[in-house]
Amino acid sequence: MAGALEFIPAIPLLPFASFLVALLAGYFAPKLLPKGGAIPGIVATAGSLVVSVWAFVTVSQGEYIAESIYTWVAAPNAFSLHFGVLVDPLAAMMLVIVSLVAFLVHVFSLGYMNDEGEGGLHRYYAGLGLFTFSMLAFVVADNLLMAFMFFELVGLCSYLLIGFHFRQQGPPSAAKKAFLVTRFGDYFFLIGVVAVFATFGTARFVATGEGAHAFPHMAEQALAAVGGEGTMPAHVAHFLDVVGMSAQQWFSVVGLLVLGGVIGKSAQFPLHTWLPDAMEGPTPVSALIHAATMVAAGVYLVARMYGFYALLPTVLAIIALVGGFTALFAATMGVVKDELKQVLAYSTISQYGYMMLGLGTGGYIAASFHLLTHAFFKALLFLGAGSVIIAMHHNENMWDMGGLRKKMPVTYYTFLSGSLALAGIVPFAGFWSKDEILYEALIYGAGDSPILLAAYAMGLLAVFFTGFYTFRMVVLTFHGEPRSDTAEDPHGVRWNVKFPLVVLGVLAATVGLVNMTPVAEATGLHIEFLHTWLAGPEGTAFSALGYEHYHHLLESFAGYHAADIAPFVPAAVSLALALGGAGLAWLLYSGPAPTKHTEKLGAARTLLYNNYYQDEYQVWLAKGVTLPLARGADTFDQGVIDGIVNAVSSISLFSGGRIRRIQDGIVSHYATMLTLGLVALLVVFGVTGGWF
Amino acid sequence: MMIEALLGVTLLSALVVMLAPDRIAGKLAAGLSLLPVVGSVWMFVQFDGSGNALLEGGSLAFETMTHWITIGPYTLNWHVGIDGISMPLVVLSTVLTTLAITSAWTPIDERQSQFYALMLLMEASLLGVFTALDFFVWFVFWEFVLVPMYFLIGIWGGPRRKYAAIKFFVYTNVASLLMFIGFMALVFGLDVTTMDMPAIAQAIHAGQFGTTYGLGAETLKTVAFFAMFIGFAVKVPTVPLHTWLPDAHVQAPTPASVMLAGVLLKMGTYALLRFNFTMMPGIAQQYAVPIAALAVLSVIYGAMLALAQRDLKRIVAYSSVSSMGYVILGLVAYNYYGVGGATFQMVAHGLISGLMFMCVGVIYNTAHTRMVGDLSGIADKMPVTAAVFIAAAFGYMGLPLMAGFAGELFIFLGGFGADFAHAQLFTALAMFGIVIVAGYLLFAMQRVLFGPFAAETDYDIVPAALHDTVPIVALLLLVIVAGTVPNVFYGMIQDAVTPVVDAAASASAVVVSTGGVFL
Repeated sequence: MAGALEFIPAIPLLPFASFLVALLAGYFAPKLLPKGGAIPGIVATAGSLVVSVWAFVTVSQGEYIAESIYTWVAAPNAFSLHFGVLVDPLAAMMLVIVSLVAFLVHVFSLGYMNDEGEGGLHRYYAGLGLFTFSMLAFVVADNLLMAFMFFELVGLCSYLLIGFHFRQQGPPSAAKKAFLVTRFGDYFFLIGVVAVFATFGTARFVATGEGAHAFPHMAEQALAAVGGEGTMPAHVAHFLDVVGMSAQQWFSVVGLLVLGGVIGKSAQFPLHTWLPDAMEGPTPVSALIHAATMVAAGVYLVARMYGFYALLPTVLAIIALVGGFTALFAATMGVVKDELKQVLAYSTISQYGYMMLGLGTGGYIAASFHLLTHAFFKALLFLGAGSVIIAMHHNENMWDMGGLRKKMPVTYYTFLSGSLALAGIVPFAGFWSKDEILYEALIYGAGDSPILLAAYAMGLLAVFFTGFYTFRMVVLTFHGEPRSDTAEDPHGVRWNVKFPLVVLGVLAATVGLVNMTPVAEATGLHIEFLHTWLAGPEGTAFSALGYEHYHHLLESFAGYHAADIAPFVPAAVSLALALGGAGLAWLLYSGPAPTKHTEKLGAARTLLYNNYYQDEYQVWLAKGVTLPLARGADTFDQGVIDGIVNAVSSISLFSGGRIRRIQDGIVSHYATMLTLGLVALLVVFGVTGGWF
Repeated sequence: MMIEALLGVTLLSALVVMLAPDRIAGKLAAGLSLLPVVGSVWMFVQFDGSGNALLEGGSLAFETMTHWITIGPYTLNWHVGIDGISMPLVVLSTVLTTLAITSAWTPIDERQSQFYALMLLMEASLLGVFTALDFFVWFVFWEFVLVPMYFLIGIWGGPRRKYAAIKFFVYTNVASLLMFIGFMALVFGLDVTTMDMPAIAQAIHAGQFGTTYGLGAETLKTVAFFAMFIGFAVKVPTVPLHTWLPDAHVQAPTPASVMLAGVLLKMGTYALLRFNFTMMPGIAQQYAVPIAALAVLSVIYGAMLALAQRDLKRIVAYSSVSSMGYVILGLVAYNYYGVGGATFQMVAHGLISGLMFMCVGVIYNTAHTRMVGDLSGIADKMPVTAAVFIAAAFGYMGLPLMAGFAGELFIFLGGFGADFAHAQLFTALAMFGIVIVAGYLLFAMQRVLFGPFAAETDYDIVPAALHDTVPIVALLLLVIVAGTVPNVFYGMIQDAVTPVVDAAASASAVVVSTGGVFL
């Protein structure tokens, strides 16, 4: 039943069609466009979801696909550049996540955009369609170049949607920042892509078919050859000569270059600064960006080419450190924010930090698991926040809320489900996935890697802060007494808001059950379905994309060794920390009139509230360094370079003017000149001709 | 005879438009300019050339060669023909001319018949530049391009049009003189009795040098190479020979800017490829490092200058300096993706910079100002123009699936695999241009298009007329097609640059390595 896999291109192309419909019909025949483009978008993403699920079922039966479907550039003398589809368990899982979240976001937008009477709806739905298309095409990309191209298009879409309210001052600025900061990361990514081509001659993730090559596999061969097994591919050897580095060094450089793009898009330190600003976009867009598309793209890319990263211990350590640090760093900032969406923004940064931590510490499955659970609970939290924002007439300040629990029970209980998942409280989804990441970090760190252990410690500490800010948010928003008139009498929401919330609320509570590692260890049952799902087949080309293979690479190339630690104690510790944080928040903020306890932190609060002044130094780099440099260059250009040009022309004009005086029209002067000239000539000829 | 027909029809159209009354000149010119568009597209479809026009084994499409005159020992021929490098440039010239003429309907309101006649005259000369294969014929066209452009800037330009026109004319003319002397020195040093470019190229490759003024063939070649390089670099323009460009662009009427950025600059890189890099690959490779450094300097310095500007037209003008720097980098990489990408980038940049200038022109037509500080939030008033502007700007930033990304990617692939010292480092440095370009275009868009509406101008900001919108939308679609299906013309480009790369590989003392085998 290869049927489903032949329809893979339809998964991204359906939302693309809805983009075209919204764009063209929105311009030429707005009246014909049902709900401003929402209906075509919903139909298209529902179609993508159906095909994705079908593909998922097909993949579960062991049918995978990796093939080129379009030759973008045919180069008879050099490597050609292709678009292709690669659908393996990881991609199939991601396809379902992305199309489900996109579908629910479209439905929710009916309530958030249409019912609220927003203008420019066709522009909004065109953007959503293009966004979904780009992300789905990125997910199925079978090579690094195609991944890069759609990664960039994802960036464009985020620009268009974050800046949706372009008539205001803030959104266009936030959109610019989002694109510029991620472009800075993508600069390194593009060098990485080019370097992969130059080194390996191919950018494919997996080799299927006769004579095909895949760069992770070639890197493995090259490193094995250094270790004395097999032979190094000839052009890899040559290129290493050209750059004058060892295979391990050069591959690490390439891995870090690609990682630049990941750090930009997945909002990791120090390129995380665009993400909180991106809250200027409409809330459903935030849900899409944070849960399933742009931010997820970075982490997904690392997972996609894990066969390459698993070879490089230095890069893995850097990924783990960046991830662990970001998880802690962002969680501390989330503690002091006053606006609902700001808290969620920092929680996103922090949670993707966990995924990076998982990937860096060898927890490939754990990180993919967290990608899955986070997609659902974060989409849920953003849509829940959207529902609250509708109710509050677009006031996002939590101090004006309170008591919404009774007024909007559906939103409250679903939001609570997402919050429990985010805080990592058993048995909600986030507990299982975050716990597994921390467990992997711990066992490989304890293996004999102090760096991983340090990353683990940061991740563990962040659990406490996560519990705290999550429940600070829940309590302030929903509990206590209403603290403003709008909170007394909130605006109601309709089915189109409640339906996505309920779907995601159930998922946030249950999706963690697919991979209950501690329970599996305790009972000996084979219930780690995600492990089975991602383990990879045996004996086909696709085994190179399975966890079994990655695990082998981690042990034999990266030198990772797992210490023997039972999963219960670490799980209990992280649960205790999460509960501690949540409980503290409950203690501090419940009650009818909570006070702003974080104000007591004084200078620390100011530092956190200003995001450690990260924005300031980046703005300074742009405005305080680059712009003056540009102005200086301009002055130099006008003054010196153009000055020389003008000086040369003045000299010729000036001398031309002087010489013109000779031509004064007086015959006797001409006669004098003629005679003098003749004499001079005679003298010259005489001297050179030897007359004298 | 197709090329002659193309040239003849264009010249005749120019004559007809010149004599037509001003009232109908614009529409008549646009209509007549469709003839060369149809002709060139037909040629593009029928194109059956293979290999490179100048090198052995090349078979030209639409070639004619007849004896013209004899001067002393030298036989001059009317020799024209098209290979895979010139074919896309010919189509670019005709298509952009039609769109530029249409975009002139709104802003040009005096002496219309002369204006449009000059535009068509310029088109004819450009077609001559891209098709001529005898040096004398080529040089006549090359110089003649300056004449209509001089008048277009000097008559219909902005307040400082006289200064800009004269600077443009003198600067590029002095450069041409240097190039001419260099090339002549080379030809007189060779054992040839023709000005035929393929014959000269092949004579140089075969080393048929006679008297070389006692310099030795290598020295003569080096001197000629640099005389010509400087001559062409002015046209490209390469830093530090670029200062005529912003003045010319700012003063020129928008349709002339479109042609200047879209096609005239490509004459420089086209000539560099045809003469320097095809005829003397050994010298080019020997000096690859300084040339690459110059390319990187153009990219980064040009982008930094663009960052400092407040006039939208100056921003786009300086960004051309930056983008054309990539072309030089691609050429000096001397591999398939490098040289092919450089050629692709000529077309891609022609389309995108033409589009950007047109968008700025459409805004200027209604606002009568182009200053970033004077305008704010005009997306509200001119939504379609703003949408195309945004798309064009992202195209300029190298958004995938648009033409600019393909061109730049090929060049980066080529540059990274090139054989000269530190090629990877140079390429990585040049690539930083993609960050700076995003900086200044995003900044300009944020200020001009978005935010609350405000305009410091005495004019009402109104949506653009249909005949202003159609050209920018059409050009945008071309940009997207070229980026999505680059094979449409990248195939013929590769076919034509392959002999150049192979000749370079054999000219080079370095053993053919990554660059040669692989890229």
